[in-house]
Amino acid sequence: MPAEKKPMSWSKAMSINRRAFQLLCRLYPKELLSKLLSVLWEALTPYVGIYLSAQVINALSDARPREELIGLVLLTLGSAALISLVSALLSMWKETQTAGQWHKTQQILAAKMLDIDFATADDPHTAEMLSTIRQNMNGGGWGLNLAMADFEQLVSTVFTIAGGLTLTVSLFTTQVPAGPLTVLNHPLTVLCVLALMLAITSLSPVLVNQAGAYIARYAGSHNLANRMISFYGRLGHNREIATDVRIYRQERIADRVNRDKEDTFGSSGLFARLSRGPVGAYDAAGTALSMLFPGLVYAFVCLKALGGAFGLGSVTQYATSITKVSGGLSGLIQVLGQMRNNASFLDLIFQYLDLPNAMAQGELPVDPDPGKTYQVEFRDVSFRYPGSGTWALRHVNMTFSIGKRLAVVGMNGSGKTTFIKLLCRLYDPTEGQILLNGTDIRRYRYEDYQKLFAVVFQDFKLLSLKLGENVAAGSPYPEDKVVSCLQKAGFGEKLAQLGTGTETYLYKDYEKGGTDISGGEAQKIAIARALYRDAPFIVLDEPTAALDPVAEADIYSKFDEITGSKTAIYISHRLSSCKFCDAIAVFHEGSVIQQGTHETLLADTQGKYHELWSAQAQYYTAS
Amino acid sequence: MKDKQHTKPKYNMGQNVLFMAKLAWTTGEKKVILLSLLLASANVVLNLLNLYLPPTILSAVERQVSVSALLGTIALFVLALMAVSALQAYVQENTLFGRISVRSELIAQLNHKAATTSYPNLFEEKFQTLESRCLMATSSNAAATEAVWTTLTELVQNLLGFGIYVVLLSSVQPVLMIVILITAAISYGIGRQLNEWGYRHREEEGVLDGHLAYLSRCSSDPASAKDIRMFGLAPWIRELQEKAMGAYTAFQQRAQGVYVWTKIADLVFAFLRNGLAYAYLIRLVWAGSLDVPQFLLYFSAASGFTAWVTGVLWDLYKLHKQSLDLSTVREYLDYEEPFSLDEGAPIPEQQSNTPHEIRLEHVSYRYPGTDQDILTDVNLTIRPGEKLAVVGRNGAGKTTLIKLICGFLDPTEGRILLDGRDIRTFRRREYYQLFSAVFQTFSLLAESLAANVAGDTQDIDRDRVRNAVSQAGLADKIASLPDGLDTKLNRTVYEDAVQLSGGETQRLMLARALYRDAPFLVLDEPTAALDPIAESDLYQKYSELTQGKSSLYISHRLASTRFCDRILLIADGGIAEEGTHEQLIQRGGQYAELFAIQSKYYQEGGVDDAR
Repeated sequence: MPAEKKPMSWSKAMSINRRAFQLLCRLYPKELLSKLLSVLWEALTPYVGIYLSAQVINALSDARPREELIGLVLLTLGSAALISLVSALLSMWKETQTAGQWHKTQQILAAKMLDIDFATADDPHTAEMLSTIRQNMNGGGWGLNLAMADFEQLVSTVFTIAGGLTLTVSLFTTQVPAGPLTVLNHPLTVLCVLALMLAITSLSPVLVNQAGAYIARYAGSHNLANRMISFYGRLGHNREIATDVRIYRQERIADRVNRDKEDTFGSSGLFARLSRGPVGAYDAAGTALSMLFPGLVYAFVCLKALGGAFGLGSVTQYATSITKVSGGLSGLIQVLGQMRNNASFLDLIFQYLDLPNAMAQGELPVDPDPGKTYQVEFRDVSFRYPGSGTWALRHVNMTFSIGKRLAVVGMNGSGKTTFIKLLCRLYDPTEGQILLNGTDIRRYRYEDYQKLFAVVFQDFKLLSLKLGENVAAGSPYPEDKVVSCLQKAGFGEKLAQLGTGTETYLYKDYEKGGTDISGGEAQKIAIARALYRDAPFIVLDEPTAALDPVAEADIYSKFDEITGSKTAIYISHRLSSCKFCDAIAVFHEGSVIQQGTHETLLADTQGKYHELWSAQAQYYTAS
Repeated sequence: MKDKQHTKPKYNMGQNVLFMAKLAWTTGEKKVILLSLLLASANVVLNLLNLYLPPTILSAVERQVSVSALLGTIALFVLALMAVSALQAYVQENTLFGRISVRSELIAQLNHKAATTSYPNLFEEKFQTLESRCLMATSSNAAATEAVWTTLTELVQNLLGFGIYVVLLSSVQPVLMIVILITAAISYGIGRQLNEWGYRHREEEGVLDGHLAYLSRCSSDPASAKDIRMFGLAPWIRELQEKAMGAYTAFQQRAQGVYVWTKIADLVFAFLRNGLAYAYLIRLVWAGSLDVPQFLLYFSAASGFTAWVTGVLWDLYKLHKQSLDLSTVREYLDYEEPFSLDEGAPIPEQQSNTPHEIRLEHVSYRYPGTDQDILTDVNLTIRPGEKLAVVGRNGAGKTTLIKLICGFLDPTEGRILLDGRDIRTFRRREYYQLFSAVFQTFSLLAESLAANVAGDTQDIDRDRVRNAVSQAGLADKIASLPDGLDTKLNRTVYEDAVQLSGGETQRLMLARALYRDAPFLVLDEPTAALDPIAESDLYQKYSELTQGKSSLYISHRLASTRFCDRILLIADGGIAEEGTHEQLIQRGGQYAELFAIQSKYYQEGGVDDAR
């Protein structure tokens, strides 16, 4: 059996729901207001129809004057039309406000990702949390959208009950005239009837909620099944990997998974079994039980009518309105149960939204003037990724200043990229300090400090927006500067081929008419973006990995032009790039084991640099 | 309203309903049909019970029957209601899973078609359009391939109800019935017209929807988090989100402004219909031919009848729309295959002393829709056991050549022969089995490491897996994982999956190719993510890895070519130069130039030359 979840306590569940409601109220007050008004109208106005139709029947059975009856009928028809008209207008407003509901909740989640510390954003647990939240939302419908719907149903049921009760008070107060049925007038009888009604009304949804609780309890296995089907159901449809899929005949595995009826949703799966068993039984029992209610109501109402307490029209009025009250009560209990089931899903959302920003926010301003001199020093810096037991960097000491070119080399996993992340303050050191002109970088204003760096990460991402917007990292952008940066980065030729120039959308995610670009072209755009920023430090992490030898040599030969008087930090597996750097730092297992120029490091034939260099150079030098 | 987006669908509504019914019947999901019929019947019975309950009881009260007779009548109704509604609820709860299984079957068929269809199909616009519609049509419980059961259930239910009410009403007031039929039809006609507005504007809505979805996706993607922070993109993204939401809401306002007229038309017709019903029935009461409970019965029946008629009309409309989607699914599954995938000659058995030979004769290839050959008149023989290197600039046609050799593309002109016979005459799926490949984009399965290496979840030879893994240099990494070879891959599916680095993934792909042990080994840039030492390691081992096989090695790193018997330089639409490294360097052509460019920085004094 897959992992189960226990429902949480009522008070905690309700306070979480209240918090969700307050959040939605603060962010989307118009949507809530439109829902409130619409729901109120829909809950209360049916009673007008019920009352008037009853009057029509009373008038008919009492054989009242024809004019009176005609007036009554016209009133019934007219009021129904008017009520429908207002309903239509209210629902037009409500639907407009509600249409973007799904996107709104996505934005609440996305906004948090934009705000949190990079360390938290980069933590796989955060991604998992977010992914679970989304799956709960898309697969089972749990979360903020359901909280919104629950709010609507709560208001609706409360007013349905209130409206119905006002029409039925007289049912209990009207006395049966003397006769065999006067026993119905006795307060104890009334009390018994009321108690029975309440018992049936509340027991039925409790049973139905039992069924719902099963589904909530197994949400984990629900989500896993959804992930499996979205992976294997789409495997063949990914053109990028089509050759691989064919060579390795991966459709065989996909077919097995996609046709697996033991799968959580399959017709022999967990939920199917539950539905044939307890879930179906609870549901059937709850529904059957609820049918006792109209029986009880009719019995009581009709007996009173039989005793002569009121006429036929009132029988229909009481029967329909009290059935609505019962429906309201069931709905109320059901929605409360649903809110409780939803609470654990809301709780996860709030855990995510409450993730703290722990990074120190400094006060000191930084002047990102490229002409100014900057010196950066790593002083005994050690770093462990959150939740990891091993040091990614250990006792790193290093100083470099403006105008120099630093090459960072080392094997896979030696800490090169981590070093860059610390330098850019995406992470803070676990131990030690990083100093800018002698001051700990944590004391500077965060945004200011980051403006010092223009970075091309190894796994950089471009947005599927306009080319020019990507280069300028915003909109609108100065065309001249964007074009010149693109040319410097070697994108000029391709730019000339694009019909819409810098207005061209990249990829097809945002605009269908966008242009797909190759990895090499993307790399050039990322370099252009770094150039555009014109920051004192330029950091390039494997910037030529996707380029062919000619394009690579092109970037190398332009390196001076690209970096100008800036400090450049260059990471590459292609050690040829070290030759035009002024200093080289060799990373090994998280430490800097060698520092110096190409010549001095190469001279040390026992050193790591010599080993790395030779491993590659042997194929290009000796013939 | 004609839908201009679709040409006439290949299959009509009846054919598609039959198709679904057959599919359910033959895949062991007969219950889908039976439960749907049961559900429809239960709903109609419930409706009738609720229709007759109030007037029957009112009539009992009016006739002043005895208390026990009254209670007896009520009890009878309640028992019937309890039984039928319990059945209805139970059936309702159980309809879902069979329906999901039928949809899953279609997902499986579509995925199978996509994963095995002739490779060039994937790049045809018509195929792609059909594909994206098929994916939509199977994407959720509300999509056509599953929702069609709900529509059919409702249609059966509405038709049954309609039939019964016709019998009921025609005895009393056929004129009223006809008036209802007409008003309901007009009301539906107007509603449908207005509803088409949404259908006509669905692309506009899709675009706005897509913008919002993309912005949420990219701003919450951890992979973008670095760039968003370093380039200060957050305020700009927020601004874009706000604008996109504004545009979306404005669209919805327009849409609702149209839809509201449906409701207004409905209320006008409801007013007329009810007015007429009151007028007729009240007259009958006055004339003494109806008593009050009968009045109530027929008045309820009149509005009930309206609901059935409207229901039937809207269900047919829905069924029509869903049938278009089903037709798309079937057209995709029927899509013509230019390759002979499973028919044709079997691949000849490889004799251990004479491995296969592949020969290209005057092969040209031109991508559809372009006006220039990417490769022209290529002649090439891959001799048994030969190690070939393929080099050239980005876009020169290296990958196209590999795709032709592997049988993913058929030449526009010329032919490719396996052991002297045109590969088009072989079973293409068997032909693919001749290759072990590491492509630049690869497909990792959401399975264990062992299953990924073996390429399957069943019949895994764990010794061979271990062997391949250690040959690929991944043994240490796997030993460091608590679950070893059973560690799962893919964190989007399994929360406890391992995240391999780029270099480790490349090694895993190499291990998979080695496990396969096919006669041809194809390696496309297998070292791009490896550090110099790992890269050098692979070169050193290359002879051992390719023992007894023919191999093709594509790389930008010209060092790799040293270990190959022959180098092909692809340029200007063909093989511009070929020979060993030494021969080509001596020749002083394009290869020598490329090599000089790349080795420049490794030479003494190279830096000064560059400046």
